[in-house]
Amino acid sequence: MDFGSKTQLEGTRLQIYVEELRRCILQDRRLQSVDLEIARPGESCRAGYVFDIIEPRAKEPGSGANFPGILGPVTPVGQGVTHVLRGAAVTVVDGGQPGGELGYESRRGGVSKILEMSGEAAKRSSYGDLQHLVMVPRAHPDIKRHAVLNALRVASCRAAVFLAQTALSQLPDSTLDFELKGPKSGNGNLPRVAYIGQIHGHQHGTESDEHILYGANTRGMMPTPLHPNEWMDGAVVTSYSWGGRGLETYFYQNHPIIGELYRLHQSGQANFVGAIATISSDQESEMKRNSMMAAQIAKWNLGADGVVLTKYAGGAPHTDMFETARQCEALGVKTVALTSDTASDSRAESALLINTKEVNAIVSHSEGSDVRFQLQTVDRIIAGNSEVADILSGLSVLTPAALCGIANNQGASRLQPIIY
Amino acid sequence: MKVVHYLNQFFGGVGGEEFADTPPNFLEGPVGPGNLLNQILPEGSQIVGTIVCGDNYAVENQQDIVSFVNAKVKEARADLFVAGPCFNAGRYGMSAGAVCEAVKSESDIPVVTAMSEENPGVDVYRGEVLIVDSGSSPANMRDVLVRIANLGAKLANDEPVGPPSTEGYIPQGFLRAEFVEKTAAQRLAEMLMAKLKGESFEPEIPVTTFEPIPVPLMTTEIAKAKIALVTDGGLVPRSNPDNLPRAFSRVWGAYSIDERPKLLEEDFEVAHGGYDNAHVQQDPNRLVPVDVMREMERSGAIGSLHEEFLSTTGNSNPLENSRRIGREMAQRLKDAGVDAVILTST
Amino acid sequence: MTTEMEKAGIPVAQVTPMTLVAETVGSNRIIRGRSIVHPLGDVDLAPEEEHELRRMLVQRALDALASEDRTTA
Repeated sequence: MDFGSKTQLEGTRLQIYVEELRRCILQDRRLQSVDLEIARPGESCRAGYVFDIIEPRAKEPGSGANFPGILGPVTPVGQGVTHVLRGAAVTVVDGGQPGGELGYESRRGGVSKILEMSGEAAKRSSYGDLQHLVMVPRAHPDIKRHAVLNALRVASCRAAVFLAQTALSQLPDSTLDFELKGPKSGNGNLPRVAYIGQIHGHQHGTESDEHILYGANTRGMMPTPLHPNEWMDGAVVTSYSWGGRGLETYFYQNHPIIGELYRLHQSGQANFVGAIATISSDQESEMKRNSMMAAQIAKWNLGADGVVLTKYAGGAPHTDMFETARQCEALGVKTVALTSDTASDSRAESALLINTKEVNAIVSHSEGSDVRFQLQTVDRIIAGNSEVADILSGLSVLTPAALCGIANNQGASRLQPIIY
Repeated sequence: MKVVHYLNQFFGGVGGEEFADTPPNFLEGPVGPGNLLNQILPEGSQIVGTIVCGDNYAVENQQDIVSFVNAKVKEARADLFVAGPCFNAGRYGMSAGAVCEAVKSESDIPVVTAMSEENPGVDVYRGEVLIVDSGSSPANMRDVLVRIANLGAKLANDEPVGPPSTEGYIPQGFLRAEFVEKTAAQRLAEMLMAKLKGESFEPEIPVTTFEPIPVPLMTTEIAKAKIALVTDGGLVPRSNPDNLPRAFSRVWGAYSIDERPKLLEEDFEVAHGGYDNAHVQQDPNRLVPVDVMREMERSGAIGSLHEEFLSTTGNSNPLENSRRIGREMAQRLKDAGVDAVILTST
Repeated sequence: MTTEMEKAGIPVAQVTPMTLVAETVGSNRIIRGRSIVHPLGDVDLAPEEEHELRRMLVQRALDALASEDRTTA
């Protein structure tokens, strides 16, 4: 990836005409400027705090809208052809997020997510070997925070499409096919598997103009069946609340769990019958209702024999996920859940907030709170503001939870808790 | 390394169950299995002293034994403290765990012990003390001592200790995050397929087995209640008609008390190999208190004493056995309309 | 055994000298027995005193049964 005089793709070399990109981003009049830099693997560079990381993708015209409900009309996605610049990423840094306690002051807009391009942390990160177009969009001072966040979201999608559109006239290097016949499909011998994934946790609040599912803010959302392809093709983006635990749109587009279930399907081991998007509620009654409904959909609409469940970070979503799993088990749908280690004492018996013996298949992506990365001083810091810049330049040690791409909540994590 | 070793009366060569009350004694150099351990220890390391203490004494006088051990460990300027191996012996395992924990916190030196997974000492002390998995058979002694020596040396040299499966100790229950080959997604898919096929799998975070049980409440007042006596101390009628074994019992018996005012020595015997039976033999009411219960019946403190007592041998019994026996006993008691139980364990 | 009986709804007072074990396993009502070799007795006491001790421990067990709370006594 390089800046140059034209925006074009030649083989694996992407040239970006920076002024053209800038004009594209600044279509959004809420923004007064945008910093644009490129960070490459191995470079002595650190960026933070990260709002989101998206893979550059563009739909072949006629295949559906790019990021429906965000950039344009709401049309179904997940079919047709989507061009992907594999090996590249658009990383948006939040200029408005304050520093302090590693950015924990404001949960709206995510917490301390840092992109590290060199050293051990980069080696362990899924983003360490990608070419990043790093953007810091800066809004006018009078723009309200929720509108700033919305502008960041729009900018992230715009940039992703802008870069990937260079691929539209080209022959791809490789193609991947994703096809499912859905819940009606037969092949009675194979176990039927599905995915139930939380896409937002309402305990941190939700802006009315927050885009999450086909541009909707998911307030009051009940469990919603989705085709797994929709998940991977721009229908879902991360919300503003990450709880600091590894969630980027990149891994919706390259969803590790949907990918694994596809692999089981394509290799003839299982029948991938569908997916259900859920939210984690902040009300107990809603939580019970949603858990029950998700389980019912898995059982009766998808006919699933087994499901994989993930949560959207945090304690309430954890409870939500376990309750959904418990309801599934009660209906005879077997479950496997991805959890994180919630114990502060590193003891196995404290690690699960909830303990129901039916939910006995647990994989933990382990936030790795006992893992430490020693950081060197870096030559280049890309920060949202000077407060954050100071914090980033002074860092010497970080845990995986503070870094992008290591303790990933979507299944990409290679951390595992070992019981000693 | 200077090592101090702790043994019970049996392994310490004092004698069997009859000597379980022996107070602690300190002997120079290695004793019993300590001799073998001494040979296995690395060059330059040796057992400088051994503390031998009776199992009953240790359990009943924990403060004393802890002070004694701490004092000797300090005097000897030990670098490492080893207790056991205890195998299945429950009192031994509990005391070994207790003294190890005490030495660790008082002298801040590495401690290691060994016992079987079923030993009650495991659940109580595993978090604080490294416990080698000795299995139940003393035939494994050499192998167990090798692992003890290994771990002891690592702890003393501040070297990292590997995972339980490699080093041969019982997991302490600490979670440590490590980078592995497979992504969480791959592990999820594998676990899902295993579960769907009915194959075995291990959750990455264990789901604990001891769920708290809500306190069952009395449905009648004590003064009107039928109370049953149960024991795992192995009290049986003379000649042991049900052949209760001296350990690992899969069976239990229900024995009639009739109208007896108390249990008499000549009518009963003890089938439990894990404790000195003499005192209970002499007066069975010391285990199954029929005499006092009859008095309570007469005075109206309880409604009635159930006409039989239930008995099994609790010695070294795997949890699953005990649980099953408990369930079966519960059924019999419920069928007989029993309101509550006093259960005596040794 | 105690916990299985409790699961079946039967109140149990467990008399044992190894109270720590009983607590770990989750027994709800635990009475500290005198000794492993004579949980409800004491060979060092004269017969009447021993009998009194037994009565006291049994009474403690009955009180624990009557109580609604978890007890170790």
